[in-house]
Order: sequence, then C-alpha cells, then structure tokens
Amino acid sequence: MYTKEELFLAISTVIDPEVGFNLVEMGLIYDASCDEEGNAYVKMTLSTKACPMHQLIQQWVKEAVKKMAGIKSVEIDLVWEPEWNITMAEAHVKKALSR
Amino acid sequence: MFSISQDFAPPFKLISPFFILGSLFYLLSVIFLFFFSVDNLSMLDTKVLSFVHLFLLGFVMMTIFGAMAQLVPVVLEVGHFGVELFYAIWPLLAIGTIMMAFGFVGYPTLLPFGGTVVLIAMMIFVMEIFLTIKKVKKFNLVISSMLIANIFLFFGVIFGLVMALGYAGMVNIDINALLKGHVFLVIVGYIVVTIMGLSVVLLPMFGLSHGFSKKPLEISVALVSLAVISVVLSSLSGVALLGYGGYALASVGLLIYFYFIYTIHKTRARKEIDIYAKSLLFAYFSLIASLVLALVYLGIGYEPLLLASAWMMFFGFFAFVITGHMYKIIPFLVWFERFSPLVGKQKVPMLADMLPIKSSSAQLLFCALGVVVIAAAILLQEEVLLKAGASFLLMGALALVRNVFYMINYK
Repeated sequence: MYTKEELFLAISTVIDPEVGFNLVEMGLIYDASCDEEGNAYVKMTLSTKACPMHQLIQQWVKEAVKKMAGIKSVEIDLVWEPEWNITMAEAHVKKALSR
Repeated sequence: MFSISQDFAPPFKLISPFFILGSLFYLLSVIFLFFFSVDNLSMLDTKVLSFVHLFLLGFVMMTIFGAMAQLVPVVLEVGHFGVELFYAIWPLLAIGTIMMAFGFVGYPTLLPFGGTVVLIAMMIFVMEIFLTIKKVKKFNLVISSMLIANIFLFFGVIFGLVMALGYAGMVNIDINALLKGHVFLVIVGYIVVTIMGLSVVLLPMFGLSHGFSKKPLEISVALVSLAVISVVLSSLSGVALLGYGGYALASVGLLIYFYFIYTIHKTRARKEIDIYAKSLLFAYFSLIASLVLALVYLGIGYEPLLLASAWMMFFGFFAFVITGHMYKIIPFLVWFERFSPLVGKQKVPMLADMLPIKSSSAQLLFCALGVVVIAAAILLQEEVLLKAGASFLLMGALALVRNVFYMINYK
C-alpha cells in the first residue's frame, strides 16, 4: 500500500526535542512496511535505553503513520540490536552535532 | 519487542518544589558565606557545621531527591513503589534542615529535633527506593550502585542522629569518633556513589556517547564502596590504618572514575559545549582539584588544605554536577508536562529554547569564579578574597534562582 520511503517520509515529521532532528535523519528508524490492508510495521530504536521519552516517541511515530490515508493499524517494533550510534545518522546531522 | 516502562513518571508539581527549594537553599548557603571570617574557619566550628548542613541537606540532598523521583523509573525500568511519598519528603527535609542549621549556631536543643525530622524525611526516601528496587528483576551496575548508595545513606543518617543527640547532651558519645564515619557514609557513600552510578546513564544520554567500556566504573564504584566501609570501621574501632586505607581506596576509585568520565567525553557524538557540558567540565576538574588538595593535606597536615578540598568537592563538584543537570532535567519536565500534548497540533519549543542563555552563562561564570576565589581565600587565609568570592557566588546564586523560575514558568 505504501513504500518504505513513503512511510519514512511520514515518520520524518517526528522530531526529537532534545537534539532537534527528526527520527529518520537521526537513523533511528531501521525499517518500515505496509500491507495491502493498511497494516503498517515500523522497526525502530532510540539513542539510549534510558530515554525518558521512549513511550511518547513511539506514540508520535504511530500517530504520524496513522495520518496516512487508509492506514488501519501501526505496529512499532522497538529494538536494541543493532545498537544505534552516530554513524547511522545522516551526514548533515553528524556535521551539526560535531560542531 | 523490548520495552522500558516509565508509566509512573511523577507529575511536575511533585518534583518542582525540590528544585525551587534546592536553589533557594543554595542562595541561603551563599549568603551564609558573608558571615565567615578566615580566622574561624575550622572543620568543627559550629558555624561551618551549620553552613555545611544547610548546603548539603538543603541544596544537594533536596535536588538529588527531586531528580531521583524522576530518574528512578528511567534508570530502574520499573515504576515507583509509592511516588506520592515524595510529597512528604521535601517539607520535612526543608524544616529539618532549617532546625539543624539554627541548632548548630546557638540553639543546640533544636539539633535532635531537626535531626529527627531529617531522619524521617530520609527514611521515607530510602524505604521508597528500597521498595522500588525490590520490584527490579534484573540488576545492573546502575541499580547496584543505587542500592549501595542508599544503604550508606541509611547508616549515615543514623550516625548523624546519634551525633545530634550527643551535641544536645542527651547521650554520652564520642562525637569526633563518629564524625568520620558520618561524613564518609553520607558524602562519599551516598552523594558520590549516586553521582557515579547515574553518570553512566545521564552523560551518554545527553552527549550521545557510545562504544565506551563500563568496566572502569564497576571498579571505581567497588573501590569507593570499600573505602567507605573501611573509614566507617576505622571510625568505630579507632584503628587509624583502616582510615588511611579508606582514603587511599577512595582516591584511586575517584581517579578511575575520572578516567571513565573522560572516555564518555571522548566518545560523545554531540560536541556542542553548552551550559550542561561547561558545568560538568568545571565539576570534574573541581573533583580532581579536591583530590589533589586532600592528598597534599594527608602529606603535610595543613588544615586549610582539607577545608579547600572539601570546598572544591561541595561547591565545585557537587554544585556544578547538580546545576548542570538542572538545566537538562527542569526543561524536560516542563516540556513533558506542558508541550508534549501539543506535539503534532501546533509548533512546540525545543528543549534548548527553554533555557535562559545569558542568565545561565552568568550563573556559571560567577559561580565558577566564586568557587576558585574562595578556594584561594581558604588556602591563603585572605579575608578580602573570601568576601570577593562570596560576592561572585551571590551573583551566581541569584542567577540560578532566577533561571529555575524562568524554566519552570516557561510558556
């Protein structure tokens, strides 16, 4: 129903208020898919297990995907392997953070 | 799916009094400095004892307890046993601290009563933490250090109460013999071990550090804990060698801890030196300065060195670690409560937008200057420098209080 790129585009509206970048450019979204019935699946991680906003961020991702027409359900798979590190972020994020 | 539970994060109205009172007690402690003269600076001077309790209980413990109300579910990955108990902790701790501060400077009968009120506040805190830890299924380094720290606090407060009864003449004990044990249990055993344990969570989280080893922290927590036990045994038994062994273990443990912090700093992805990073840099260099001064004191026995070491540990290390984290924790809590429900509906501020940039820089600069100048005043026994340092600190403390209210009232 939607491609991975379309789902990533929707999720890119979710911004981490601590660092000021969206989750996709941070490299926190590992995978996303959607079947013909409108059931979406998002595999993601967080920059740290101790993130106090982890529930909120998952909720925002769900809401961002649910805004897409025809989406019935969203399953979030929060994983810690592979562990996130800065090399997974986009070049402009790495550059901005290293200043 | 691996999930972390933070379902029981406390409401901000429960935590905000801890930060407001903490900053006000910091201001009061700084005002107290104007009443000191370099001639009467001594570890056992009643004015010094009053000042130390006002600062450590009113500012350090108050803000740590408030921060723990928020951080415990994050760190332990379980909800609080009874988070409502924190509503009782801050008023009791504030009242008990004021009673103790007055008790030391001329009303000794207030001491056991103030001490008992503080004891009740701390026991509520310790029991709440123990019962929360009991819910944890899998222990890790952070949880273990939190457990160790709270056991030390439990015994440290009991030592303190016995000493308060002794000061008031209600029991006949050797106060000086218990003093070392009390100081090490509360300051090193609780405050330092708590900071050490939490730093493995908080510093990498804010600095986006990855790929560092936790082994140095494991070793340093073990050494510092053994140091506390050794000094307490020395305090109870009178065996001086145990005390010196404890000081050596603590020094080595803290140096290894400093190395661990350096590895987190080196592996951080976020290189920005903001108010948080600047505060921590000053804090950790103060820790090293404090250690060096203490070691020189052990060598030559000049008491101002010990006082300057304690000063750098309290107003340099503890205060800057705490104020640095206040600039992260308060905006987050306010944002979580006030702006997170608006995400996706309207434009919301970033956490960094909620900081008063100029005022927080002023706080850091004036407080850092004040800390260094007063350390020099203590070492050189120079009255003018003491007043100059206190003046710098007063400017910084006023800025801190202003910043706390600014962040809490951010709309």
